[in-house]
Amino acid sequence: MTDSAIATNPAQAAAASAVAPKLTVRDLHFYYSGFHALKGISMDIPEKKVTAIIGPSGCGKSTLLRIFNRIYAIYPKLEAKGEIVLDGENILDPGYSMNRLRGKVGMVFQKPVPFPMTIFENVAYGIRHHEKLSKTDMTARVEQALRSAALWDEVKDKLKQNALGLSGGQQQRLCIARAIALKPEVLLLDEPTSALDPIATSRIEQLIEELKSQFTIVIVTHNMQQAARVSDLTAFMYMGELIEFDQTEKIFTKPGRKQTEDYITGRFG
Amino acid sequence: MPANQAALPIDILEQRSHRDARHERLFRWLLKGCALIVLASLLGAAGATLWGGREAFSAFGWHFLVSSAWDPGNDVYGAVVPVYGTIATSLIALLIAVPISFGIAVYLSEVAPAWLRTPVASAIELLAGIPSIIYGMWGLFVFAPFFANHIKPWLTNNLGNKPDDGKLSWAAEHVPFVGKLFGSDYPFGASILVAGIVLAVMIIPFISSVMREVFQTVPTRLKESAYALGSSTWEVSWDIVLPYTRSAVIGGIFLGLGRALGETMAVTFVLGNAMHLSASLLDPGASIASTIANQFSEATGLQKSSLMALAFLLFVVTFVVLLIARLMLRQLARKEGR
Amino acid sequence: MSSPYLRRRITNALAMVMSTLATLVGLAFLAWILWETLRQGISALDLKLFTKITAYGESGGLANAMVGSLIINFIGIAIATPIGVLAGTWLAEYADRTRLGESIRFLNDILLSAPSIVMGLFVYTIIVLPTTVLTHGSTTFSGFAGGVALALIALPVIVRTTDEMLRLVPSTLREAALSLGVPQWKLTLQILIRAARSGIITGVLLALARISGETAPLLFTAFGNNYMAINPIEKMSSLPQIIYQYANDPGDAMHALAWAGAFVITMFVLLLSLASRLILSRTKVSHD
Repeated sequence: MTDSAIATNPAQAAAASAVAPKLTVRDLHFYYSGFHALKGISMDIPEKKVTAIIGPSGCGKSTLLRIFNRIYAIYPKLEAKGEIVLDGENILDPGYSMNRLRGKVGMVFQKPVPFPMTIFENVAYGIRHHEKLSKTDMTARVEQALRSAALWDEVKDKLKQNALGLSGGQQQRLCIARAIALKPEVLLLDEPTSALDPIATSRIEQLIEELKSQFTIVIVTHNMQQAARVSDLTAFMYMGELIEFDQTEKIFTKPGRKQTEDYITGRFG
Repeated sequence: MPANQAALPIDILEQRSHRDARHERLFRWLLKGCALIVLASLLGAAGATLWGGREAFSAFGWHFLVSSAWDPGNDVYGAVVPVYGTIATSLIALLIAVPISFGIAVYLSEVAPAWLRTPVASAIELLAGIPSIIYGMWGLFVFAPFFANHIKPWLTNNLGNKPDDGKLSWAAEHVPFVGKLFGSDYPFGASILVAGIVLAVMIIPFISSVMREVFQTVPTRLKESAYALGSSTWEVSWDIVLPYTRSAVIGGIFLGLGRALGETMAVTFVLGNAMHLSASLLDPGASIASTIANQFSEATGLQKSSLMALAFLLFVVTFVVLLIARLMLRQLARKEGR
Repeated sequence: MSSPYLRRRITNALAMVMSTLATLVGLAFLAWILWETLRQGISALDLKLFTKITAYGESGGLANAMVGSLIINFIGIAIATPIGVLAGTWLAEYADRTRLGESIRFLNDILLSAPSIVMGLFVYTIIVLPTTVLTHGSTTFSGFAGGVALALIALPVIVRTTDEMLRLVPSTLREAALSLGVPQWKLTLQILIRAARSGIITGVLLALARISGETAPLLFTAFGNNYMAINPIEKMSSLPQIIYQYANDPGDAMHALAWAGAFVITMFVLLLSLASRLILSRTKVSHD
């Protein structure tokens, strides 16, 4: 525990969590069509913890998340500079295999996006691309993923039905199941509950709590209470810069920076 | 669940990446190849007709474009008669279809009560779905006889220079061209005018649906501010909506023109297939498409080549007209920010 | 009341009346054409239409023309659908905003209204002429050539709808699949095309409706045949071609047969457009 007033030093934050970093971001800059969207972000994201990224809209928090699995690369004219080290290798290196990255880093999006196929196929689809499994293995793997996503009991009798028939909350948990079925090491959640009602939201939050023993979770949220409830560490971003990154408890009770305090107390944003 | 045991050996991953990249390249080439077929069919159609028409072009040169002869007996061919027929029928069609389509578009976007708009619009669109051969049948068996019995006598007697009672009307005598345009002693309905009318009915749904669509892109606040100044529905349509959408409206009209120029069946049935030039709109004529449809199967040698040459002309002209149409319409798409 | 105000009111009333009249004129023509087709077609309907071939002339039916139409349309759709769907996919997924992509999209729109008779002559040149030479005249016109000509007319319709429908698929679906490490070609074939499926099917149905009434491109490709032909390398009859032939015949009995054929085609086309509308209206509910 550090008691220093300002804890923007990522190393300190990691030290604070007393866990080795899973993802290390070093001087990350991001540009789209000339716009400087991220300005020299550096942070250590610890393993098997929940790290929340908060900040006003347009601060770059989603952009940062979308670099962690390089999903931004499907759009032209986007450019990332700097380093993101995952298990000792820089994922921004053009030679880093996309297959490997996407297998290691799973992502769940703001709106639930089930594929237009059955519930079973939704989960099996991604696995099939990465591994050749026998029918029984696949069934077991899908069940395991659905159980981990706390969805199994609700869908076990209708695995052959179209996933578009599920409720919004169920669809989102299906998307989580789909992501964790690949057994990733890092799970990115991009405002995963912003399209859901309060009951579905609390189920997802509960789920995040359960999943953190197995995955390194990074969640972007505009909901500060949510960040306070689910995360171990919180990063506050503003205008493309990382303002403060520390233990959640500290950020919400004794923020080190004026801007953080203003945001958390609702004076802007 | 043991999350971190899935990491596969790196060489397998590398292999898979290579395989994926190879499949991706193959897939891209397959898709691109299919898209290039679209391009190839356009170039191919122009190339094939140009190649087929090469004998005619080399035999007649520029005379092909200015000669009104079409004489299989002496093996002499010129494009003027079918080109005139094509242009005349299409212009008549536009003359009739444009105001009606504008009326329909204004009705559907400003006048009609909301509940009536969708059914009426779908009904008009249904006109576009009717195959052209049905228009041809209807034109030949229903409309042309109706025209010959009820409309044509009035036109020849009141406007033409060959009235049944021999007494020229005031219009035929004093307004230039009118007498010639409407004079005819040909007894049947099939004629340039009837073909133009049938074409007009065919292209109304195309023009009106484009107009209606573009009228709907006019920002409501623009219309509302005009209404707020006390403008009437007509003034809003004519002074605000039409100028705002002008280029797209012209695009829609050219789209209709492109359709009319290339239409074969509906015209072939009601044009009368006469390969000579007549000033009268009530006399039979020929269009490029109808000439090809009527003659190609039996033609040989230079006649066949001349028909191919006609097809090339038709293709080039419709291409240019449709090109203009699409360019005009694209400006609107840009405005919409699509 | 001031006179400019009165004049404006009269102008407006007149314009409103004219626009209503214009709509009534359009609807009247629709009613007139449909009514005549129904009246003359139904009165000529007879079982022998479906059982007898055109070789019997006045006392025959249209069986060979119907079978021929089905075969030629099938060939046309079977060729145009895969090519059109893949080409449309390229435009939407791979070439959006590239120069070549934009040009092909633009030219495809032009092809949508290109004169169909020229397409017939094109296929005559690239298929009928070569087969005539290669087989020393034993195979000339063929149902296959007719099918290719119709495929060229169906192609732009399918390309356009596929392109449009894929561009409606939300990009989040692409991101979700790519984040699983699925390569783009798999994503395209297995997810995007599936998500846009009903829209694409609508496009195919519209294309089928469009080609099933086409006559001009068949005149010099499938040509016609008074006997039943099943083999696509033979000359083949089709409903529109028989209608054209019979309508130009002086005999009233032939005209009746032509009306019956016109009735069959019109019903087929109207049902197709109805079906495609239904499919499209259903999909709007299922997606989003």
